[in-house]
Order: sequence, then C-alpha cells, then structure tokens
Amino acid sequence: MENVLDFLIEIGKLKKMLRQGWVLRGIKNPECIASHTFRMAVMAWLLGEERKLNICKIIKMSLIHDICEVYAGDATPYHPFLLNNKKLPKGLTETWPRFSKKEKEKIFYEKHKKEDKALRAIILKLPPLLRNEIVSLWDDYEKGLTPEGRFVRQLDRVENLLQALEYRQEGKNFSMNPWWIQIEELVDDPVLIDFIKVLERKFNKKCLNH
Amino acid sequence: MAPKKFYLTKEGLEKTKKEYEDLKNLKLSKTNGEVPKIWHSEDLNPEYLAFQEDLEFLESRLNDLEHIIKNAELIKSPNREEQKNINLGATVMVQVNGQMDEFTLVGTLEANPSLGMISNESPVGQQLLGHKIGDEVVVSSPIKTIYRIKKIKYKTI
Repeated sequence: MENVLDFLIEIGKLKKMLRQGWVLRGIKNPECIASHTFRMAVMAWLLGEERKLNICKIIKMSLIHDICEVYAGDATPYHPFLLNNKKLPKGLTETWPRFSKKEKEKIFYEKHKKEDKALRAIILKLPPLLRNEIVSLWDDYEKGLTPEGRFVRQLDRVENLLQALEYRQEGKNFSMNPWWIQIEELVDDPVLIDFIKVLERKFNKKCLNH
Repeated sequence: MAPKKFYLTKEGLEKTKKEYEDLKNLKLSKTNGEVPKIWHSEDLNPEYLAFQEDLEFLESRLNDLEHIIKNAELIKSPNREEQKNINLGATVMVQVNGQMDEFTLVGTLEANPSLGMISNESPVGQQLLGHKIGDEVVVSSPIKTIYRIKKIKYKTI
C-alpha cells in the first residue's frame, strides 16, 4: 500500500503543473495538467458511450495519458523551437508549427522515448499487474493501436479546443488558428467531428476565429 | 450493412499480420504453460487474477486484429495517369500559410499526424483527395485554411 501512496503523491504533482501551451501564450492563472485530465476522462465516458467503445478502458487511458509529464514535463508542439532559444520567435503561436517529415519523425520518437522512460519511472513501484496495464494503455494512446487508443488521442485535442474556446470567451487574447488547423488534420472520429460542430454552434464567432 | 473496410499500406498490413501471429503464439504459450491455481481460501490468488487479466487483454486485441485483417483493403499505387491526382497512399507536399508541409494520406488505422500520416477520413484528408498539383484546397472550419498542392508522389511497389 505504501508504494501505491508514493505513486499517488507523485501524480498529485500534476495538480500544480501548469499546461505549457497557456504559459507560452501568457495566459494568467492557466489550468493545470490534472484539470485537463479530469474533464478529458468525463468526456471519454460521455462521448465514448455514443461510440460504443470500452468505457472502462478509455476512462483509464484518459486518466493516465499525461502522468509521464510529472517527470518528462509538458512539451507543446512549439517545444522544438525552444531547444535553442529561451523565447519563441514572435508570432509563432499564431500558427500551427510545420516541420518536414523527417523532422516530425525525429521530434515524435525523441518525445516518445523521453515520456516512455518517465512513465516507467513513475509506475516503477506499483504491482506488476497495474504496471503492465498502465504501459499497455499508454502505448495504445500514443500509437493509436485500437479504436479506444485512436479515440482518446483525438479526444485529448478536442478537450484542449474546448478549453481554448472557454478562455477566448473569458476575453483572453490569442489566435485560435493552431487549434482549428490541428483539429482538421487530426480528428476523423465521426462522434468527435459532430461534437466539434456543436462547439462551433455554442461559442460565438468572436471566440471561434481570430 | 457491409462491414467497414480498413485501408492499409503494404507495411501496415504486414505489421498487423505480424502482431496477430505474435500475439497468437503468446496466447498459446500462456495457455500451454502452467496456469496459476486459485487459492483454497476466500481470496483469489493475485497471480491467477493477473494471468486472467493478461489473457483478456490478449483476446480483445486478437479479436480486433482478426477483424481488421478480414476487412483489410490494400492501398495500391494507382496507374501513371491516376498518379497525377491525390489518392490514398500519396505523399503530398503542400504550402500552408506560407510554410511547407508534407503528408501521406493513409487509412484511419495508420493515421498519425505527428508523423505526417493524415487520415483519409479527416476533414483535410477528405478535401485533398482527387486534387492535383497547382490546385488550391480550401478547408473551412471557423477559419479558412488554404492548402496549395506543390508535389504528389507515390511509393513504387
């Protein structure tokens, strides 16, 4: 039991870790990683029902999808630009960052390797059965191995889109372009595409584009 | 209703078949070996529970893979004339907002935009299909994004 408690204390740090995408954009008092995880898990349950997916699996997958960030940190798509600079080039967060196919592969595998190592470290003391389950779920999410993995990977972005729209509605000033571009290239799940249309109707035009 | 087709590249189909065979062998080795016994008490042996959970994971993945292989449609390189257009399997060089990008159009199973693999069922994938070099493809979500097609290439099989 003490090992489980140690694990819970470690992942509790996600309640204090701010989401870096908002920090980069200078958003005051942004959400933490645990807040994003909480709503994503609820969305997985509610939207996954309609999709007739394994609900227990997608809720668990959502709950663990970012725990590696306790050790690996929260790397945004703009992270590669920060490796050699302390500050992002001006205007970069107003658009979706583009890379060559080779660069994309390099960025993806380096991030995956770092996060995989961090995940294994954080679950190290858990019982083997739980450890195996968490690694399988995370691998599925990362690589989109099953319908559940592909759904949760897309859901992660949709929750982030909803948060962006809420911040815009609160009057926070940043460009929505990167969200829409990424969503249009990533999301192919019919339930999530329908949900995005609902978001478009719910939020006023001023929030949607900028 | 006809079952949904899964469009896969040659590598994708081979990978799926290999995973299926590997997992089938793993399942065989697990069930042929010694099965942990249930304790003769009110509690279950944790080892037995772990074994059962592992098997459940394996079986569910095996069922998924079997379904995919049964309904797989191989993405083939189109004939020379058709290669002028964007079809499944095409690698497309595009200019978006002044920046160059490169995507390969694949089925949903192999899609991973982080690796430049775009699903043919995504809004951008759907819009790009059928277009040729020089075309401008407009994707209108609440914002309008223009994809200018600069190059189309196919892997030679």
